[in-house]
Amino acid sequence: MLWWQSLLLLFGALTLLLLVGLPAGFAFLAINLVGAVIYLGGEAGLMQVVRNSVASVTNFSLTPIPFFILMGEVLFHTGLAMRAIDSFDKAIRGVPARLSVVAIVAGTVFSAISGSTIATTALLGSLLLPEMLRRGYHPRMAMGPIMAIGGVDMLIPPSALTVLLGSLAGISISGLLIAGVVPGFVMAAMFLVYIIFTAWRHPELAPPSEPEPTHGWARWGPLLINVTPLVMIFALVIVAMSAGWATPTESAALGALVTVIVCLLYRSLTGVALVQALVGTAAITGVILFIIIGATTFSQILAFSGATNGLVGLVKDAGLAPWMVLAAMILMLLVLGCFVDQVSMMLITLPFFMPLVLHFGWDPLWFGVIYLICMQLGLLTPPFGMLLFTMRSVAPSSIPTSEIFAAVTPYVVMGMLMVVLVLLFPGLATGLPALLLGK
Amino acid sequence: MANFHAALMRACGHVAAAVIAAITLLVCYDVVGRNIGLPTLPWVNEITEYALPIATLAAAPWLMWRNQHVRLDLLGAVLSRPAQRMADRFASALGLVVSLLMCWYGMAMLLDSRSAGSLVMKALVFPEWWLFVPVPIGFALLALECGRRVFKPSGLTENVGGH
Repeated sequence: MLWWQSLLLLFGALTLLLLVGLPAGFAFLAINLVGAVIYLGGEAGLMQVVRNSVASVTNFSLTPIPFFILMGEVLFHTGLAMRAIDSFDKAIRGVPARLSVVAIVAGTVFSAISGSTIATTALLGSLLLPEMLRRGYHPRMAMGPIMAIGGVDMLIPPSALTVLLGSLAGISISGLLIAGVVPGFVMAAMFLVYIIFTAWRHPELAPPSEPEPTHGWARWGPLLINVTPLVMIFALVIVAMSAGWATPTESAALGALVTVIVCLLYRSLTGVALVQALVGTAAITGVILFIIIGATTFSQILAFSGATNGLVGLVKDAGLAPWMVLAAMILMLLVLGCFVDQVSMMLITLPFFMPLVLHFGWDPLWFGVIYLICMQLGLLTPPFGMLLFTMRSVAPSSIPTSEIFAAVTPYVVMGMLMVVLVLLFPGLATGLPALLLGK
Repeated sequence: MANFHAALMRACGHVAAAVIAAITLLVCYDVVGRNIGLPTLPWVNEITEYALPIATLAAAPWLMWRNQHVRLDLLGAVLSRPAQRMADRFASALGLVVSLLMCWYGMAMLLDSRSAGSLVMKALVFPEWWLFVPVPIGFALLALECGRRVFKPSGLTENVGGH
């Protein structure tokens, strides 16, 4: 079979299986089983599929994933995250679209301790959205910021998907986690400017909603009490990792333990909340890793069938300018992001992308950050953006889905702007890791 | 019978959660202990690695039961309810075939490795086939759940708050 026929067969079958509604993990396994018979030598190949499936997830670089998710889940189920958001609500005032600004600021801080974009969006959506709508905010002004900042969670460490990208692409995980910090904060700042400017031009979109006037300690005290520990947990994870005291796995586990201890000190930790957090962590981790079970064999089959070399060779020999290849990759990620989940996206594209990154001599951290932003946009683009569904599940049914799509559009445009910024100024991504890790 | 199945699936989820709790504590003890001079556990990294497939394969049937695995829900939007049920039945049947094959070859792999007497020799030394034990068990349970869905296609079995 020619390489392009194999490529067409493998991806055609994968698309078909996904279309009939087979869970992504099963779809990859099914392709692996068929591919093993065709390309990996029948019976022996099938045994190899099993061996690889265990090997794919028996990987120390994946272990930060459950720990990062656990941090967010613990804060979510103990109610500490809600107290933090409440504190921002008391402290932030005198700005147009105050509650949208609260969503962005609280979301950014919560991103810094939560490894799960969905948890962040669900939390802000269920907490702030009803309040915004009650106060007469336009649904777009209310929902857009919440979904947008949920996406930024992927860039600001801890982030489960960043760990996965580093592991699958062979990019330094601590480097990639730290590289996401600056673009994440720049993006949050961009959102803030946009929200404040829009609300200033069109005050009717966000009627004033000042809280009870409080002063001094009553205003700033809760912020100090409820938010400082969260910022310190974030600092602990980053410092432990960049100072070389602990590996990403160890910093993540420490972060999870300290989060539990902080909740204990705040007397908000109950046995029920802890069990719920652990069960929630098992669910999100299981969802991610079950797709990864098929990863090794899938990339092996792509390689054995000649599809990887064929396609990569074709691109190399086409004499395209590097920027054209990069633009095509970004476009592909953005299109894929509309239809498939982030983990499947990595499995499908990385076997082709990483040899090209190597070939063109691009900085893997820089490329990794661009990849992360594209994946983040995939969370927000219709029709299958995960955060759109999350918002759908928490928004009142009177709001049409088209309104949810419209709400997120300006933020998708800003995300694309961020991709361009990182392309033009690689230092945005590579500066901080160079400073902290010397990479 | 239905109750037993539900309890079994929930138990899978709890096993996965317990495994995660255990590795969190182990890794924390190791890193804190190393920095304050307590005796360290050289096998922690290894155990953490081995725990991941156990947690993943224990969670998988439970996630299937909760309808929580990532899937492209394209047909749900356009098909009628009976047609959706047919599609779910078809997808579950495919899942059943995949699970049975993985279970079968998982068992074959395990027996193969056992009869060859292969050993894993890192910080811990143990027979390699131990690593494959979660595969036939996990996929047998997945097959059970997929099989149930073929005969009784259902929507969401259990709501998942906040996720």
